[in-house]
Amino acid sequence: MNKIAIPNMGNYSIAFAAIADAMGATPWISPTTPEIVKLGYEVSPDSLCLPFKIFIGHFIKAAEEGVEYAVMVNGNGPCRLTYYRQLLQKILDERGLKMHIFGLGDTGIKPPIIKHYDPPFFKFWRGALWALQKMFLIDEIEKLAWKTRPREIKKGETSTVTNQCLLELEAAKTGIEISILKSKIFERFTAININTDKKVLKVALVGEASVLRDKYLNHSMEELLGGLGVEVVNYFLLGVELKNIFFPHLSGKHSKKHMLEIAKPYLQTKVGGHALDSIAHSIICGEDSYDGVIHLCPSGCMPEISIRPILRKVSSDYDLPVLECSFDEHTSHVGLVTRLEAYIDMLYDRRKKNGKEHNT
Amino acid sequence: MKKKVYLGVDVGSISINLLVIDSNDTVLFDSYIRGQGNPIAAVQKGLKELEQNIPDDVEISGVCVTGSGRSLIGAVVGADIIKNEIMAHARAAIHLHPDVQTILEIGGQDSKVTIIRDGVVVDFAMNLVCAAGTGSFLDSQAKRLDISIDELSNKSVLSENPTDIAGRCTVFAESDMIHKQQVGHKQEDILMGLCHAMVRNYLSNVCRGKEIKTPILLQGGISANKGIGRAFSEALKADITIPQYNMVMGAFGAALIAKNATIKQTRFRGFDIADHSIATGSFKCKDCSNLCEVIEILDSNEVIGRSGGRCGKWENSYETT
Repeated sequence: MNKIAIPNMGNYSIAFAAIADAMGATPWISPTTPEIVKLGYEVSPDSLCLPFKIFIGHFIKAAEEGVEYAVMVNGNGPCRLTYYRQLLQKILDERGLKMHIFGLGDTGIKPPIIKHYDPPFFKFWRGALWALQKMFLIDEIEKLAWKTRPREIKKGETSTVTNQCLLELEAAKTGIEISILKSKIFERFTAININTDKKVLKVALVGEASVLRDKYLNHSMEELLGGLGVEVVNYFLLGVELKNIFFPHLSGKHSKKHMLEIAKPYLQTKVGGHALDSIAHSIICGEDSYDGVIHLCPSGCMPEISIRPILRKVSSDYDLPVLECSFDEHTSHVGLVTRLEAYIDMLYDRRKKNGKEHNT
Repeated sequence: MKKKVYLGVDVGSISINLLVIDSNDTVLFDSYIRGQGNPIAAVQKGLKELEQNIPDDVEISGVCVTGSGRSLIGAVVGADIIKNEIMAHARAAIHLHPDVQTILEIGGQDSKVTIIRDGVVVDFAMNLVCAAGTGSFLDSQAKRLDISIDELSNKSVLSENPTDIAGRCTVFAESDMIHKQQVGHKQEDILMGLCHAMVRNYLSNVCRGKEIKTPILLQGGISANKGIGRAFSEALKADITIPQYNMVMGAFGAALIAKNATIKQTRFRGFDIADHSIATGSFKCKDCSNLCEVIEILDSNEVIGRSGGRCGKWENSYETT
């Protein structure tokens, strides 16, 4: 079987699986589980970052299940991700696991992965287009859930609807099916009973992509905050990300061009990863008078750790409370909840003190 | 009609504190009990003591539980409100010292700084994964030297020439202390050096980047240690106030929160739970890939509460303030 393992990117794994499908490969995706975390930690050098340990955990698990191929982004810039693909491959080889990792990005017009699978032109591009459709729809579902969850009357309803929609989206095969599902999704979210008068806080999540997206790693932070009456905005949207990769010269609030511009007073050099985005997004939140920003940083992540002092400066310049959260495999759930609850209480008190009404 | 009183419980890593106030915010009872690894037994002991020490004509009309063990003990005593300890401590501090601007709070395993301006919490920070600079470390050092915490406190302030101790990490601090004692430094100098090292560690890790303004309150279990108070005032070059009820501020704050909330009918399960046999069991929730270990709290085979899940569906729901 031509199975290919895809690293977990939260709900986006559904879209990645669809692309693999279009190539004629059978995708292997899995949510992060305690077992995968353990597998990853056992073989990783301790100094590497949490995302690396999760990548290798997923690949080992897949390889043990007989998956022969995997795919991994080729990073560039100062983040250590640049050499992760080679390192992952080396660890797999040393452990005698027969799995080949294809790199994605900076590999020419016809990357090795396409050469290998050599999918028929029309079938591949049609499938890729459907995958894109899925990806944009995932973004829509996320946005609807962020808005609905803090206002829902029956606790947990939003999460139930979200999970149901994602399951159906995963099962949808063709563009038409996806379009039909799209209208259904909007209906379902509008059907959720909400308290429209409720004053909710608006908090943005910024930081490293895999802790922003992997619900196991971030302890379902969106759900926790939603339950505390907070409308979250998670600043890793793959749609925006792809636009910034392929069309870096487009303008717009969240475009690479604009982000480079507004972050310039704080950061002039490249630090890699999504560090610049974290700064720029925090500034945008400050300008848009968000109640707060939570910075999610995996332990061992060089880019995000190096910008922490900068975020403190942004925080004082824009009078925007920034909560630093650090994650590793031992992150205590109670400790995290305590921080979040205290932070949210503080934001409510600040609002009362400033007499500021929220500009929804 | 019975007088209404409110109970605050602070379940920390080392101690369980109970405090009762009446509707005029007067403290009727407070206790500090070392949990010794069994918070349920400790809270039962505390309730028994409480029952014997408060007048008969009062009735518990609201309960708020705070601290890291709040969800477990909240289920055991029947809490109306569950509150994080940062806000509970701040509430009590603002109540006793309305002009407070900074709270330094060091507990058994957590150390926190809370910044208050105009009576409102505007910022806070908590130690991350390191226990250097928390009460547990002082505890273990006192045990190693075979002296009580009180002795440690009294001895350290006598020091005239504190020894320099490497305080970045508790393991290295301990080897450094042993080294200094072999070289022949006086015990009180080493103890005061330890207090300085802990304060240095706390200020550079937890208070990093925070604007510390006076009045400064020092609270939490460690505030009983005079050496720590001295080290703080020397390091910050400012007066440090140790509030009344410094050991039980979390419980005081919780009691105030319970009093100010609108609780129609308390869920307090009564003093006789002190005699119940309360046990815990657990199961693995298989509803999603997180596979959380959910703890069930059982009072003679009846499930009174659950904790440990990540998504919140197993936990009891509480009123919000």
